[in-house]
Amino acid sequence: MNATPEIIQGGQYNIGHICTRMQCDRGLGDKVAMRWLGAHGERADYTFGDLERQSSRFANVVGDLGVAPGEVFFIFLPKMPEVFFAFLGGLKARAITGTLFANFGEEALLDRLGDAGCKAILTRQSYLKKFQRIRDKLPTLKHILLVDAEKDLAPDVLSYPRLMAAASERFETALTPPETPSVLHYTSGSTGKPKGALHHHRSVLHQSRTAAEVLDLKPDDRYWCTADQGWVTGTSYGIIGPWSLGVTQLHFGGAYDAEKWFRLLQDERVSVWYTAPTALRMLMREDPALFGRFDLSGVRHIFSVGEPLNPEVISWGRKVLGHDIYDTWWQTETGGILITNRPGLEIRPGSMGRPLPWIEAAIVADDGTVLPDGEHGNLCLKPGWDSMFISYFHHEDVYRQKFRHGWYLTGDTAYRDADGYYWFQGRSDDVINTSGHLVSPFEVESALLEVAGIAEAGVIGASDDLLWEKVVAFVALRPGAAWGPELELKARIHVSNRVSTVATPQEFRVLENIPKTKSGKIMRRVLKARYTGGSVGDVSTLDFQDGANKEQP
Amino acid sequence: MTTLEKLNGIFRTVFDNEELNIGPETTANDVDGWDSISHVNLILAVEMGFKTRFSPDEIMAFRNVGDLVAALEERKAG
Repeated sequence: MNATPEIIQGGQYNIGHICTRMQCDRGLGDKVAMRWLGAHGERADYTFGDLERQSSRFANVVGDLGVAPGEVFFIFLPKMPEVFFAFLGGLKARAITGTLFANFGEEALLDRLGDAGCKAILTRQSYLKKFQRIRDKLPTLKHILLVDAEKDLAPDVLSYPRLMAAASERFETALTPPETPSVLHYTSGSTGKPKGALHHHRSVLHQSRTAAEVLDLKPDDRYWCTADQGWVTGTSYGIIGPWSLGVTQLHFGGAYDAEKWFRLLQDERVSVWYTAPTALRMLMREDPALFGRFDLSGVRHIFSVGEPLNPEVISWGRKVLGHDIYDTWWQTETGGILITNRPGLEIRPGSMGRPLPWIEAAIVADDGTVLPDGEHGNLCLKPGWDSMFISYFHHEDVYRQKFRHGWYLTGDTAYRDADGYYWFQGRSDDVINTSGHLVSPFEVESALLEVAGIAEAGVIGASDDLLWEKVVAFVALRPGAAWGPELELKARIHVSNRVSTVATPQEFRVLENIPKTKSGKIMRRVLKARYTGGSVGDVSTLDFQDGANKEQP
Repeated sequence: MTTLEKLNGIFRTVFDNEELNIGPETTANDVDGWDSISHVNLILAVEMGFKTRFSPDEIMAFRNVGDLVAALEERKAG
C-alpha cells in the first residue's frame, strides 16, 4: 500500500468529498472544474464550488429517497452535467454508484439493474420506455428520477429539477473509511451475464496518483477525456483522478466529429488529452489537410486506452500531431492504469509499456509457474493495489476464480521482453474488444435467438482495422426461414436495441448448425477457425451433427 | 406519404422509439442511440425502404435528416 497522500485529510476517503469540498477547502472553490460544451454549441462553466453545491444537493436527494449507504443507485444518461453532479452526490451519500452506457438496450439494463438490486436510477424521459418494458422484473427499483421532467410523472417517477430545487446545498459527508464500497461498473464475460466490478473509496488513491504521475496532470492543465461516463475510464479518469487533483476538465456532449474535436483542442487550449485508439484510427482516415488548419501547440500529452494501439497510430501521431501517443493498459476490474507507456519512458510502439513502479506484473502459465521473458502466457498482477476491485457484486464465487496461485488473472495473454515491456497477445477467453468496449458473445447470442427465423447463434470477435475487433455472428436458421438483407437488418436492429449498439454484429455467416460440444457448449474456437481459415484443433468433443459447420451460400 | 413521413417510420423502427418525430434539422445528437453503428442500421433500412443505394461519399456527406431527404427526393425526381 502507498503512504497516505495529501488528498486524504482526517481519514476521509470519500471520493465525492475529495473531488468537491476538499478542493474548495484548498482554496479552489472559484476555479473552473468543468467547462461543459454541448453538442449544439452550448457552453457553461462549473466551478469546484458549483460541483460542491450540486453534488451536495443530490446527496441530500439520495438520502431523502431512502437510498441507504451501501444500496445501489445508477445513472443512465448520455454525457451531461447532471451525470457528474449525481455521481459525486451518490458517492457523498455513500450509495454504491454505478453508471450505464446510454446506448444500452432494455435487456442489458435488466441484467445489470436486476443483478445489482438497484434502488434508484437517474435517467431522462426519452429512456423511460425502456424501463417501462422491464419495470415488473425489477422489484427493488423504487425511484426513477428524470432530469428533464419539471414535475413528477408518477409516485415513483420523479422530477430531478424539483427534488434538487427543494434539497439543501449543504451536506456533511460522513467520515468514509477506505474500504467503503463506492463505484460499480458492469463488465462482460464470455459466459453468463455481465458481472458488476465493485470498487471501494480507497481507489481514489491510485486514480489520483496515476492522474498525476502517468497523465502528468498539473494544476494549470486543461484536460479532456473523451470517454463516456458509462465506462470505467469515464469515471476513473473523466471524474475522479483529475478532480481529486483540482484540475480543470473539458467535457463535450457531442459525438465524434474530427473538425469539432480539433477545434475544441485548439480553442480550449487542451493540454492533456486522453482518448481511444478507435477514435485515433478514425482521425487517421480524415483528410490530412484538416490537421494543418489547427494549432495544437497547447497540447502537451496524448494518451490512449481501450484496446492496443497499433504502431501505425503512434507513427501518425508523431508525424501529423507532433506528439507521442502513450498507450495505457488497465481494465474495469483494475480501476486504474497499471501497465503503461508514459512520459519519461521510451515508447516501444505496439507494446503496452511497463508496469508502474508499485505494480507487480508477471506472465504466468496455467499451472502458476512464472514464465521467463519472451514466453507467452497469462498476464497476471499481484493483488493489493488501491483501485483493485473488491468483488463481483453478488458473485463472490466468480470473483474468487479470478485469483489463482496468488495472482489476479487479467484474462489477457501477453509476453514480456528483456527490458520489462509487456506485449499484448490476445484474450484467454471469448470476450470481444470492439472499439474499446468489451462485448460478451453470450449476450449477443441470446439476443439473436429472439429474432424470428434464427434457431442458433454463435458469436466471435474477428480482427478489424478500425475497431480492433468486430462482432461476427454465425447463425443457423429455423426451417422455412431464408437469410437475406431483411432478416440481417432485423437482427442488427434487434441486437442494437436489446443489448447495445456496440454489440451489433458487423458481419453474419449462415451455417446449417452451430458447432457445439456434446454437452451443448458453443465451440467459438471452431467458428474462429472457420472465419480465419485456421486449424480447428482438437474436435474430439464436438458434436458434428447433420453437417454442422457447413456454410450456407 | 411524404419522404419525411416515410423516413420517420424507418427511424422509429431503427431506434425503437414510437414517439420519435424527426425534422430536416434533426442530427445524430438529437436522437437517442444514433451512433456510428446504428447509423449503419439506419442507412441499410433507408436503402431497403426506398429501394435505393447510397455511395460511401453520399453517406459521409449526410449532416442531418434534411440532407438525407434531399438525396432521396433527388432520386425520385431522377
